[in-house]
Amino acid sequence: MKAPKPIASPVPEAWYPTLSVIMLAIGLVVTASFFIYEATSSRRNRSLAKELTTGAVASVFLGFGSLFLLLSSGVYV
Amino acid sequence: MGYRRLDLLVFGLSVSILWGTVFSDLILSKVDRRVDLRSQIVRITSTLKVENDGTNVVSEVLLAFPDDQAKHLAYLAATPNEGGKGKAKDFKTSSSLPVELVVHPKHDMPPALTFYSVSLPKGLAKGDTFTFELLAVFTHALQPFPEKISQAEIQLLVFQDSAYFLSPYAVRAQSLTVKLPDARIESYTRLDNTKIHGSEIKYGSYENLPPFSYSPIVVHFENKQPFAVAQELVREIEISHWGNVQVTEHYNLNHGGAQIKGEFSRLDYQARPHVRGASAFRHLVAKLPPRARSVYYRDEIGNISTSHLWGDSRKTELEIEPRYPLFGGWRTSFTIGYGLPLQDFLFQSKGKRFLNFTFGSPINDVVIDTLIVKVVLPEGSGDVSVSTPFPVKQSQETKVSHLDIVGRPVVVLEKTNVVPEHNQYFQVYYKFNSLAMLREPFMLISGFFFLFVAGIVYMHADMSISKSSASYLAKLQWDEVQAAVQQVENIISRCLTIHDKLEASLRDLSRTGDIQASKAARKAADGSLKELTKELKPLLAFLQSSQQASQILPKVEDLIVKEKDLQERLLAKHSTVVDCYEKKYGGKEIENRIAQHQQKINALTQEVDDLLDFIAET
Repeated sequence: MKAPKPIASPVPEAWYPTLSVIMLAIGLVVTASFFIYEATSSRRNRSLAKELTTGAVASVFLGFGSLFLLLSSGVYV
Repeated sequence: MGYRRLDLLVFGLSVSILWGTVFSDLILSKVDRRVDLRSQIVRITSTLKVENDGTNVVSEVLLAFPDDQAKHLAYLAATPNEGGKGKAKDFKTSSSLPVELVVHPKHDMPPALTFYSVSLPKGLAKGDTFTFELLAVFTHALQPFPEKISQAEIQLLVFQDSAYFLSPYAVRAQSLTVKLPDARIESYTRLDNTKIHGSEIKYGSYENLPPFSYSPIVVHFENKQPFAVAQELVREIEISHWGNVQVTEHYNLNHGGAQIKGEFSRLDYQARPHVRGASAFRHLVAKLPPRARSVYYRDEIGNISTSHLWGDSRKTELEIEPRYPLFGGWRTSFTIGYGLPLQDFLFQSKGKRFLNFTFGSPINDVVIDTLIVKVVLPEGSGDVSVSTPFPVKQSQETKVSHLDIVGRPVVVLEKTNVVPEHNQYFQVYYKFNSLAMLREPFMLISGFFFLFVAGIVYMHADMSISKSSASYLAKLQWDEVQAAVQQVENIISRCLTIHDKLEASLRDLSRTGDIQASKAARKAADGSLKELTKELKPLLAFLQSSQQASQILPKVEDLIVKEKDLQERLLAKHSTVVDCYEKKYGGKEIENRIAQHQQKINALTQEVDDLLDFIAET
C-alpha cells in the first residue's frame, strides 16, 4: 500500500506577504485607471466593454491580493 | 461510609456463596494487581494468567466490575504479555486484544455486576495458559473525605476496592499493590498478609480463592494534587487548505477535589502558598504539537497574560495560569487556540483526503466529563467518514465562517468520561476537489467586481427627477457638446499621428533614398487625412449650431484651422523633399528649400498642442 501523502498549501506560505503586496499594488493601479476613465470621459463616448474589463481585471487582482493579505495576517479562510 | 462498606461486604459474601461453582472451566492461576493512586485518575494495571482447566476450548475471558465501579470506568484495554514482566506497556498499540461490554450477561450471573469480555488471540485448549495485561482507568473514583476543607487543611482522599480480584473464575494466587503519593497515610484496611513499604501497601499473596471472592479495603490518604476536571471541553479543529489547521479549545474547568469551606484569604495564600492552599491550582501545562503558531489564551473578557510558551522540534509547551487560584469546587472557563501547519496533519490516500489528529485534550492529567470534538471541513468537501479507535457519538452540522456561501460541513464527535489514555489519533476522511479552494478568492473578486459595477451604473444612470426642466436639458446639451469636442480632439490627435508618420517616411528617405516608399506613405496619409477631414465636418456643424458650445467654439475652430495649416505645410514640405530627391539635389540645397516650411511647422505644432491642452482642460 502506498504511504499517505501529506497535503500542503498550493502556494508556499512564505510567499503570501509578497504576493499580497504585488497583487494589491497592481489592483490599485488598475482601479485608479478605472476611476480616471470614469471621471474624464464624457458620458456619450464611454465604452461599457472597456469599463467592465478594467473593473474585472482590477477586481481579480484586488481579490487575490486581499486573500493573500488575509492569509498572511493569520486569517486562514 | 460504614454503611456502604458493610453493604459491599454482605454483597461479596453472598455472591461468593451463591455463584461459587458457575465457571469452573477457566481458572486464573496468577493475578497481580497494581493500583496507582498518585493522581486524581485511578489506574489499575493487572497481569492475569489464565489457565483452561476444563475440556472445552475457551476463547474469551470475562472480567467483572461492581456497577458502582463500572460507572466510573473510563478506559479498559488488554494487551498480551510476551514475557518481560514489569515493563512499561503501551496499551495503545494495535496488538491490543478486543475488549467488549457484555450487554446481556447470562441470567445466572450475579446482579450489580458489569461484565466485559476479552477475546483471546486463539482458543485455549485443556491445560493451556495465556498471560495478558489489563489496564483499567477510573475517574471520580477517589472520594475526598472530609468533603469540605478550609484553606489551610490538606486534602484527604478515600479509595475503596476489593483485596481479592473480583472474578467469575477461581483464582489460585493473587496479590494487590496500592501505590500512594509520597505523603501521610491516614488509615488503611489491615487484612492478613498486609505489608507497607513507604508509600506502597501490599495485600497478599492470597491463594485458592473461589469465584466472586470479595473483601473490601479502604485506603484513606493525603493527596495535595489539584483535580483538574473539565466539565465540558469543546475542541474545534478547522481545516484550511491554504495551509493551516486551526484548533480552538473551550474549557469549562473546575477543581473536583475537596471543596473549600470558610473564607479564602488572598494574603495567606500569597504569603505561604504551599501551606495555605496546597491543593489549589497554580498552573496547567498543555503539550501542543510541534510548530504550533499564533497561540492564544483568553476568556470572555479578553487576553489572560499569565501564560508561558516554549518549544523545540518535538513539542510546544504552553503553561497557563488561571486568573485566580482555583480551590476545591471553584470553576473557571477559558479558551486556548493555536494554528498548526497543514502538512503535518492532512494526508491524501486513495483519492480521499484525511485528517489525522489526536482526540483528547493536550493538557496533562485532566479528566473530561464531556468532550465534544468538532472537525470543520473546508466548504465543498463531501463523502465524510470518521474512524476512531474507540466508540464515540457522531453527528453532523454546518458552520458558516469566513467567505462561505453554503457553510462548511462539521463532524461532531462526543464522548463522556475522557482520560489522557484517550489521546489517540482519529481520522476524518473526506473528498475535496482542489478547484473548490478558489471559492474564497471568488467571493472576494465578486465583492470587488460588484463595487466596480455599482460605479459604472452610477456613472451611466440618469438620476434627475424632472426630465423637462431647463437645467436638465442644458446639461444634456452640454454633454453632447463635450462628446463632440472630445471627438474633435480625438480626430486631431489622429491627424497628428499621421503627421508623425509622414515625418518618419522623410527620415527613411534620407537614410535609404527609397523614393517609391516615401510616395506610397504620402498616398496613404493623403487618404486618411481626407477621411478625417470629412469626419470633422458634421462635428463642427453641430458645434456651430449649438448654443452651449458658443464659448468653446472659437478655440475649436482655431484648432481646426491651425491643424489644416499645419497639414498643408507638412504636405508641402514632403512634396519638396521628395522632389529634391528625384532631382538628386544635395543635402544643403534641400535644407535651404524646406527651411521656411520647417519654421512654420514648428510654430504651428506648438500652437496646436497648446490649443489641445486648453480644450482638454475645459
